[in-house]
Amino acid sequence: MNKLHECIITLHNLVSPNHYRMVFQNKELANQVSPGQFLMIEVSPGYYPFLRRPMSIERIFSDSVSILYKVCGEGTKLLSTLSVGEKINVQGPLGNSFPIPLDYQRYLIIAGGIGVAPFPALVEKVLNIRGIAPEIILAGKDFNYLLCEKDFRQMGCKLHLATEDGSAGYKGLATDLLQSLEETEKTIVYTCGPLPMIKKVHEICTQRKWLCYASLEAEMACGEGVCLGCVVPTKMEIGHEMMACVCKEGPIFDTQLILWNKIGEE
Amino acid sequence: MDINLQVSIGNITLKNPVIVASGTFGYGEEYSEYFDISQLGAVTVKSLTLRPRLGNSPPRIVETPAGMLNAIGLQNVGIETYLKEKLPFLRQKNCTIIANIYGTSIDEYEQLAERLEKEGGADAIEMNLSCPNVHDALNKYKCPLIAQSPEWVEKYTSAVRSKVKLPLIVKLTPNVTDITEPALSAEKGGADAISIINTLLGMSVNPDTCKPRLKNVVGGLSGPAIRPIAVKMVWDVSRTVKIPVVGMGGICYTSDALEFIIAGAKAIAVGSYLFRDPLAPMRIIQGLQDYCISKNIDDINKLVGSIII
Repeated sequence: MNKLHECIITLHNLVSPNHYRMVFQNKELANQVSPGQFLMIEVSPGYYPFLRRPMSIERIFSDSVSILYKVCGEGTKLLSTLSVGEKINVQGPLGNSFPIPLDYQRYLIIAGGIGVAPFPALVEKVLNIRGIAPEIILAGKDFNYLLCEKDFRQMGCKLHLATEDGSAGYKGLATDLLQSLEETEKTIVYTCGPLPMIKKVHEICTQRKWLCYASLEAEMACGEGVCLGCVVPTKMEIGHEMMACVCKEGPIFDTQLILWNKIGEE
Repeated sequence: MDINLQVSIGNITLKNPVIVASGTFGYGEEYSEYFDISQLGAVTVKSLTLRPRLGNSPPRIVETPAGMLNAIGLQNVGIETYLKEKLPFLRQKNCTIIANIYGTSIDEYEQLAERLEKEGGADAIEMNLSCPNVHDALNKYKCPLIAQSPEWVEKYTSAVRSKVKLPLIVKLTPNVTDITEPALSAEKGGADAISIINTLLGMSVNPDTCKPRLKNVVGGLSGPAIRPIAVKMVWDVSRTVKIPVVGMGGICYTSDALEFIIAGAKAIAVGSYLFRDPLAPMRIIQGLQDYCISKNIDDINKLVGSIII
């Protein structure tokens, strides 16, 4: 399987302050990827920056793939300057994908800020194989950070919005909204966003005995489980602690397997 | 024109001088999805220790200008699992294997080397006497690396030498005043080759949090940022010792590999640039062939140390 792809950028838009959506064409790549997996993107030729940038796959089309990203450093800044028609080198697909067990009626997504990035593809897949639209808690600092809201509505998702400043939806955190949701139904949860949010979601899900999968993010060099740079402490091996690579054993983890007490707060 | 790319290290012959560096290629499985890894001169596996190691707490890496810092802390499966689960794959792929070993005492190095030789676990051994990430950061300067003491280098090398016949490569640290001293000691101790350079100690601080970016505080710098230092050390060492030098440090392209070879390296290793371009070693093998043709050189060995000053 070829994992290095030359892609042509077919769309590149500012979707909200500092946030971009990029669509790039490569049929071979599009046919290989699954929701939850990620790509390593070369943002410029030469050594600056030295490493590729890991990006969640936002949506999968017949011959192209989209990513949604936030400009948060020099690498993503350079990426944002690329134009439609230019070529980029994309490595992937990498990592595992979201498990979608079939014996659920309620699929609940909790997305914080740019953590929404892997979920449009997941929603489409759940719709495809279950005929059920996931329910989504979409949270951000303010209304500008509620990305993909329209897309999710078009897909038929029930949305709960939360902003820290109250400029849209509930004023407060995603996890406050989660606390207030009905507990009765058998629910599977998918989450991605800031680590403290994911941790809190995990705690609430544990109380409610809900299965919870988180898409984690980490500083990453190789994307292939080779450099061992992006590890997270887990109990994935029975009997002892295991440093699992976010890029290889993840990025999707059953949150019960993460050793939360060994993860720093920074 | 028929070009000879074969080079010898100790009593083994590599099909070409392009190796992949320890810690940047796992145990071969991952990148075999990208190319036929048997085409490499050799595969150096991630450092092996007697028992599995968990490694350091994250964050373990940070990108830096033209390179990166790492403080992995020798996370590895341990020699037992390597022999049982990783070695068969490399053997089946017909790779030339350099096993990098790390011990906390002479005895551990001896045990590792003997075990590898007895079980056919390697075609050559690289003694890692220079990992910068296995001591507690605050004690680092009280607890120098073996490779920082010429006396210890000779002691460790000769001890392992007396136990095994496999070619012995000693990997040295650039964190010294004069790299030729430990290099001479390794040669005196019976090493078949010197590999230089391991990473340079470095540090990065996040001004927003006033905290170091690595949990281990300090780490090892690799990538093109360190290449000129590595080339100079290869030049220094190759003029001083009679045994071959394996050069590494920021090699990305054919022209980089050529710099090392012309400066005196008999073989070279691609390291962190693999993370950016897994196909880099294959491009370099082809590039060396093309260079020899263009320069009318029929044997790559003629290029080694051919620098004109």
